[in-house]
Amino acid sequence: MKDIMRVKCLLSADIETLLNQQIKKEAHSSAMYLAMASWCNQNGFDYSSDYFFKQSDEERFHQLKLFKYVLDMGGSAISPDVSGIRQEYSSLREVFEEALEAEIAITQSFKVIAANCLKEQDFVTFEFLNWFMKEQREEEYKARRALELFEVIGEEGTGLWEIDKHVNKIKYDSETAGE
Amino acid sequence: MAGVKTATASSYTEVFANKAGTVYQSDREGCWYIDFDGKLVRFDHRGLLKLKNSICRVDIEELLLNSDRSPEIEMVFICACNHCYFLNLLQIISLKQLLEGTFVMLELNQIIRDRLHRLPF
Repeated sequence: MKDIMRVKCLLSADIETLLNQQIKKEAHSSAMYLAMASWCNQNGFDYSSDYFFKQSDEERFHQLKLFKYVLDMGGSAISPDVSGIRQEYSSLREVFEEALEAEIAITQSFKVIAANCLKEQDFVTFEFLNWFMKEQREEEYKARRALELFEVIGEEGTGLWEIDKHVNKIKYDSETAGE
Repeated sequence: MAGVKTATASSYTEVFANKAGTVYQSDREGCWYIDFDGKLVRFDHRGLLKLKNSICRVDIEELLLNSDRSPEIEMVFICACNHCYFLNLLQIISLKQLLEGTFVMLELNQIIRDRLHRLPF
């Protein structure tokens, strides 16, 4: 009897489900960053707004990278519903706190997928996930550094203006960073 | 299915069977035939996965406990498939067992093929 399932698709049903869940999370992150960009823009934080626009694009790119991988491997990539995006924040600091929390959640999620890949000996997907692991190092670093600006500069006086100006200058230039 | 099976016995392999039905694989067509409750339906690999997911999503416990539901019929519709199932509770349980058994056998087949043909050492 032919092994039709394996011939048609490299991914197991469980890994395919996890990757589709991750696609949804990346889509949610992209929409969340867009809402943050909007809030920052409306409140006069132009540089932070630009920063979140770029972040939104990056998350969309991550979503598509996962989406195409699932298709390339013969799986069913599902275009996700995205809802429940928070539009209002009480402060710039809260925006960055939520951004860091979101990045941590994404990293944790990739760790779960990677652990399942190892369990199933799906080293092909595991290798594919390495790019995202490196990317998450950068994403978490940038989000953490942005939040640290609130401690380093302080919010008093022109502090928020200074923080906003510095946000866009945060770079992760480690040679091991994701491309 | 018995007629089809007899006519082209070499093309169809019985994957799994229980009292309610049988799943056959056609190597030539690259698909499966589910003979369940007098109905024979052809599924490609995506359709078979979707059917399994649909059946597994049915909350059997909820159906059992909820006395308000009348009649206890679930409609299982698979996108891009020309067929759908209208199943009562016992049929859902039977089809679920049939599909679970099928996927265990398909996984076993993959392990055997790996050992015999893909990992020649």
